[in-house]
Amino acid sequence: MNVRRFTSESYPDGERRAAWRGVLAALGLSADAPSAGWGSHATAILRGTGEGITVGRLVAERQILSPMVRPAAVPFVGVPLILIPLDEGANLDVGGERRPVRAGQIALLPRHGGAPVPIFDGGRTLVLSAGDEAFRGRRIGTASKILPRVMAAEGLAGVLAGSLASAAEALDALSDPEWEAVAAGLAELLLALLRGSAAAADESAGATSAATAGQAALLHRVHQSIERRLDDPDFTPGRAAEALGISERYLHRLFEGTGDSFAHTVRERRLLRSRLDLSNPAEAHQTVSEIAFRCGFTDAAHFSRAFRDRFGLSPRAFRQGEIERTKEAASPGVQRGWPQDSAVQTRVRRPETRRGPSAPQVPAIDAGTAPRHHHLAVAADRVHWGFFSRALKPVLEVASGDTITVETLSQHASDDPALMIAGDPGAEEVFRWTRDGKAVDRRGAGPLDASVYGRGAGEGFGVHICTGPIAVRGAEPGDVLEVRILDMAPRPSRAPGVAGRVFGSSAAAWWGYHYGELLSEPKPREVVTIYEIDVGAEQPHARALHSFRWTPQTDPSGVVHRTYDYPGVPVDPGSVVRRHGVLDGIRVPLRPHFGVIGVAPRENDLVDSVPPSYFGGNLDNWRLGKGASVFLPVSVPGALLSIGDPHAAQGDGELSGTAIECSMTGTIAVVLHKRAELDGRPFAGLTYPLIETPTDWVLTGFSHPNYLAEFGAKGQSAVYATSSLDLAMKDAFRKARRFLMQAGGLDEDEAVALISAAVDFGVTQVVDGNWGVHAILSKRLLPSPRVPIEPERHERCGFT
Amino acid sequence: MRHHTLPVSPATVHWGYFSKAVAPALTLRSGDRATIETLTHHAGDDYERMIAGDPGAESVFRWTAEHKAVARRGAGPTEGPFLRGSGEGLGVHLLTGPVAIEGAEPGDILEVRILDVRPRPSCSACHAGRCFGSNAAASWGFHFGDHVEEPKGREVITIFELDTAGEPFARAVYNYVWTPQTDPDGILHPTIDYPGVVVDHAKVRERHGILKDVRVPARLHFGTMGLAPSESDFVSSIPPSYTGGNIDDWRIGKGARMYYPVAVDGAFFSVGDPHAAQGDSELGGTAIETSLTGDFEFVLHKKRDLGGTALEGLTHPMLETDDRWSVYGFTFPNYLAELGPDAQTAVASHASLDKAMRDAFRKLRRFLMTVHGLSEDEAIALLSVAADFGVTQVVDANWGVHGSIRKSVFTCTGA
Repeated sequence: MNVRRFTSESYPDGERRAAWRGVLAALGLSADAPSAGWGSHATAILRGTGEGITVGRLVAERQILSPMVRPAAVPFVGVPLILIPLDEGANLDVGGERRPVRAGQIALLPRHGGAPVPIFDGGRTLVLSAGDEAFRGRRIGTASKILPRVMAAEGLAGVLAGSLASAAEALDALSDPEWEAVAAGLAELLLALLRGSAAAADESAGATSAATAGQAALLHRVHQSIERRLDDPDFTPGRAAEALGISERYLHRLFEGTGDSFAHTVRERRLLRSRLDLSNPAEAHQTVSEIAFRCGFTDAAHFSRAFRDRFGLSPRAFRQGEIERTKEAASPGVQRGWPQDSAVQTRVRRPETRRGPSAPQVPAIDAGTAPRHHHLAVAADRVHWGFFSRALKPVLEVASGDTITVETLSQHASDDPALMIAGDPGAEEVFRWTRDGKAVDRRGAGPLDASVYGRGAGEGFGVHICTGPIAVRGAEPGDVLEVRILDMAPRPSRAPGVAGRVFGSSAAAWWGYHYGELLSEPKPREVVTIYEIDVGAEQPHARALHSFRWTPQTDPSGVVHRTYDYPGVPVDPGSVVRRHGVLDGIRVPLRPHFGVIGVAPRENDLVDSVPPSYFGGNLDNWRLGKGASVFLPVSVPGALLSIGDPHAAQGDGELSGTAIECSMTGTIAVVLHKRAELDGRPFAGLTYPLIETPTDWVLTGFSHPNYLAEFGAKGQSAVYATSSLDLAMKDAFRKARRFLMQAGGLDEDEAVALISAAVDFGVTQVVDGNWGVHAILSKRLLPSPRVPIEPERHERCGFT
Repeated sequence: MRHHTLPVSPATVHWGYFSKAVAPALTLRSGDRATIETLTHHAGDDYERMIAGDPGAESVFRWTAEHKAVARRGAGPTEGPFLRGSGEGLGVHLLTGPVAIEGAEPGDILEVRILDVRPRPSCSACHAGRCFGSNAAASWGFHFGDHVEEPKGREVITIFELDTAGEPFARAVYNYVWTPQTDPDGILHPTIDYPGVVVDHAKVRERHGILKDVRVPARLHFGTMGLAPSESDFVSSIPPSYTGGNIDDWRIGKGARMYYPVAVDGAFFSVGDPHAAQGDSELGGTAIETSLTGDFEFVLHKKRDLGGTALEGLTHPMLETDDRWSVYGFTFPNYLAELGPDAQTAVASHASLDKAMRDAFRKLRRFLMTVHGLSEDEAIALLSVAADFGVTQVVDANWGVHGSIRKSVFTCTGA
């Protein structure tokens, strides 16, 4: 989405003025001699089209604005700027003559360079700027004669003012095709207004050929009927004249007054319409010929020629270019996961049986035996990458009360394979990827044949390396699975020269919250920072070793990854420039935790690992570390528990898109709470992941508590499009109220009073599609009736 | 350094608004200290426990058919006929001040240190020496419109007692559902729509024995503290903005240092809206509203001296505590400038955490870049792994998200 937002809050004092000038320039405005008080506060939102139409809403203290004037040498149609002040007190100054512009009135500022230059001063202002390309081929008449003026918001000017105001209000709410339509509408209104204005100018100059206001209105109707009949190849001047009740001759005379002709206008509009359709992703299923026919062309070859003459390249080439452009510009940053308009996502998929004959033996346990300890090392056949699935065969079966040492790998280890993969047999096996294929082919819930984007198997719709799934004997839908984290230890490097040290990586990636509004060049960019983790220090911490900007990486299969769009692509150290000395002197306190702990969802066979939901998954809450438990509602027989996405440290928000991602090994205890035994427990009737720490209950709220159910088949794409903290806050509130009423035995009024006085709501993450807000309830508030079931303690798992 | 005392009285409070036009109640110099009393505007929810016998509170809340000690309550009109009363309750907080700081000018930063905070004990015969507060789950609460129990659309007052014998905590005494109340001027208040209306306990039904065994850990703090904005003479006290105001962060208590950009000559600091406890989000609309007295120290940082300090480029309120820095993001960083003449009413209809999060991110990024000299890439990396964003409040029209970073991240001396 080509929306540009600006706020002075982003810039230090000294840089605000220059940044603001940049905003104004995008609207064709320049600010002269800003008053001394300027700089305290300014915001703007701008949106433009490929046709050179830009709408902006400026909020600033009073300032002096004038149109940027092109050098006289450049031939320029010179479409005037439209400025509408939102507050009283604005003025338009022309050659020393001051005219007040009331709120909502239109100030017309020509920019053809004819002296005197009009000067506008005002505060909050709407701006409509149409570059000369917006009307190429459509004459405004004698535009150079249009004088600066103030127009009352009535008649056509009123319609334009109103449309501009509502368009400005909705700038960031419109999809690209919607916005194109709105902008085209505004351009039409502007054109009609200018025609009237030019006519008036001609009249006042005593020009004899001037169209009268009545003629302008008639001309506007002609244009409207042209718009309606663009698809009709037989729309001749005769039929147009007939429809309007005028003679064909008079029709031609109307156009002569504007320096244009009927035939030219129709052809131009048809070409522009076809261009719009060709660039619209929603029309991608139409062939070029179909679009040509729909735009009133009867001959594809003729259309092709006309298009090339007009726009300089063939329709096919233009369309290809647009697809590339939208892929590069729009798809990252807009959403992760399935693209919403992908046809592939409805394809029926067979459950995969990815485990070969070498699948590990599932140890069988007799019921009633003492708790056992298991060790789950990472291996290509013990991980699944980027998705959860009810269809996966478990790699281990355990009984309630058992403890498990679970090795997990960070999918970001490939950011520096020499530090985080080399020499480590488990990691080397999982990440193995040669020209002939990968040890773990599927990465993500997308199609195996990569038919959406061509990134690779699974398309990276889901990125986390998950160890598991672990089946829990006797677990059935309706039960609650408790996963206690008894211990966590980082996985030391085994690489030559650095063995025993611990490294992690953090990517400020295109799905980060910051990505759309970077301040410094080059924009946009992705940056990976490599950290060394010191767990032995008095205050365990991470410090940065170096960082690098992502450069296009070619994976061993030959696919080029321009952005961080597929997990496990080994970064070629020779292709990036390392910056040392970054975050100098800064130590990030550790908060070791698992980003992903989840059970298999019931809805689909393949579920993207990125958006968290009722089944847990990518919770990204740093409180889920050693000493904490998470309670998960079981949805499928055996529960199918998976763990991954280990983090050494993360802040509430996970703003850049990732934490300090660092492979770790956890020791967990798994306790199954059967449905029949839940009465009176704090997690009775649980429908969401509930975290318990030694001091608090942490309730997880999401924009969409169960997005798979809420959006149905479209869930895996829709969830990315509707992320909102406001929705997540609502969800967290409702869960907190329910928890206090159910587990605390309070009535609603008591619960709301207590929430207001004592429950803390925080931002969990704003980068995982389904955004999170958590509610923290101190256990001190309510004496917990919970009877702890202590599993056997397991000694700290060490590594050599 | 001089130490001043500012007790509450009709002459030392203004009710429901910030103003650059009100005569200062106290003028002091940078470095001076002051003990300032504040009253909760919810004291009328239980007159007997929170007002009766307390000369200061009685004088401020005095309201009979003949005499209303503090007539204007809010930034609304002061000429009748009124819908709700003078000032129309457009702004509700009882604020003590303004305190003018000699030599303060726009562009400077005023630092306010909270040295101590104490509850104001009841003076009434039956409750003397004990401390009480009120929580209203009100129509402006985040829960409102989403009730699960009947009758829906109710407002509920819960009276708490603050126990300071050991580790301080609050426990509920009783609650009641708001019923229409008629004020001494004869105006009916069907909802909690005007501050300082004394509730007639013959018209409500007290429910005792609620929140049994629940102890709310105390977090004594001032919900509203800030300076007069420059945009208008009377600015509603409800939406927080660039000069502070109703930030409602419970961390603004003892030991905190708040920094505010000065917008008018003299700075015009006011404080009120005292709270005994509040959670992040203040969900039901209010905290446990309890009259408090604070000891403050004021330090003026002149514009020319800000370069190279943590205050360089500061255009919004910021908190420093022993272990962290916090910046405050709002739906609108400066709603008065952004929304024009109708800002004070328009702000309420645009509330959004998403915009507040955006603002908090930008402010914290700027802080890290300007003050700690980080590049943008370094700042963003640090924001992701070491900064915490939380929900400050979702009830004050201009919603808040705070972004915090621990000081320990930067102190890298020694092992």
